[in-house]
Amino acid sequence: MLLAFALPLVLLMQQQPAIAGRLGGRVSPEIAALATELGTAAAARGLPVDPIIQKAIEGSAKGVPADRVAAAMRLVASQLDASRGALLTGNSALGVDTVAIAAGAFALTAGLKDGDVTALSHSGAPRADIIVGLRVAGTLSALGVPRAETVSLVQASLQAGRPAGELLSLPGQVQTQVAKGVTPAQAAAGLARAAAAQSRRGPPPGRGQPPPHPGPPPHP
Amino acid sequence: MSEREFHPLVKQLLDGDVTLADLPAELRAEGEEALLILGAVDRRPVQLGDFTARVMAQVVERPRRTFWRRVLEPREIRVSVRPWLLVPALAAAAALVLWLGRSGPAASSSPALVTVRFVLSAPDAHAVSVAGTFNQWNANATPLVRTGDGLWTATLTLPAGEHQYAFVVDGARWVPDPAAPAVDDGFGRRNSVLTL
Repeated sequence: MLLAFALPLVLLMQQQPAIAGRLGGRVSPEIAALATELGTAAAARGLPVDPIIQKAIEGSAKGVPADRVAAAMRLVASQLDASRGALLTGNSALGVDTVAIAAGAFALTAGLKDGDVTALSHSGAPRADIIVGLRVAGTLSALGVPRAETVSLVQASLQAGRPAGELLSLPGQVQTQVAKGVTPAQAAAGLARAAAAQSRRGPPPGRGQPPPHPGPPPHP
Repeated sequence: MSEREFHPLVKQLLDGDVTLADLPAELRAEGEEALLILGAVDRRPVQLGDFTARVMAQVVERPRRTFWRRVLEPREIRVSVRPWLLVPALAAAAALVLWLGRSGPAASSSPALVTVRFVLSAPDAHAVSVAGTFNQWNANATPLVRTGDGLWTATLTLPAGEHQYAFVVDGARWVPDPAAPAVDDGFGRRNSVLTL
């Protein structure tokens, strides 16, 4: 029992040299100290550490002043927290691990809101597909697709049981449509309609789950 | 029978995760070949006759050893916490973690790899590289090659997932990929996004 308490404590103590080792020589001592502090605190909350380290390295590589790098790192940490909260909301079956949290945080960085991440995590698709769906949603948002159309398209695709490969092709399909002259919103809406139609026909064999049955109406 | 190792993307094709059309042009021939091999596999059911019955007849239940019975039998264990045990417990935990951390490279499942080509049109540039989350934002790690008409290209094999990157022109200018979606980098600039 004591080991159960002691092990996480020791693992946290190990985070510090691990983070310092990754940052060694790449960032200023000031940024390294802050990254270690934020990273250790993030790990204690079950958040991924890598995005914080990456932001520290990125800012230093781009020659950004230390105060701006510090602000950006804090923003990343807060987005990871927000992603975790969004995934936990409503007791999602997704499971809240560092991969899912990082995918949700990327979606938030790209412009989605906490509620969008929660909605996507409740689509009933397999966990791996939802994580890909969150990344694709972030990419669609980065392409200029509005939030509502982004969530509709990814949700419809997940509910249609589309495999990860097809989800990943959605941003390219939107770009192709945009190149033909439609807006990102129109392109996404068209693709969402096609996915919804596929969902009504049922997912491909062995893929996806049908949406939950609403159940009988309550008796008066 | 020779053993043939297919490209990870071709393996995804065989798994049904991607279609032939999703493969890069240079992998389509390999993909078609893999599909032909898959199609040539004889899938007729094998008749084993009474094989199962004969195997089961050979299986004899052996009595468990007394030692294991003693170890495995459930019994009540009473645990009481003594604060002075915390120090040796912490030390034991630390030793365990350090030992686990230093016992060679960690065995991790290798994620799917995807080959991508980066292209930037920069006719006036003298040097172009790509830096991103996949190379620790190292502006010198991945130079692009000039191919003519002012085009610069580099082909990389990256793990599946979400990557952010930017081109570095002449070692100083950070430029997002004009052909890719982009997000705010937190420093007032844009990072291009690649989702694989």
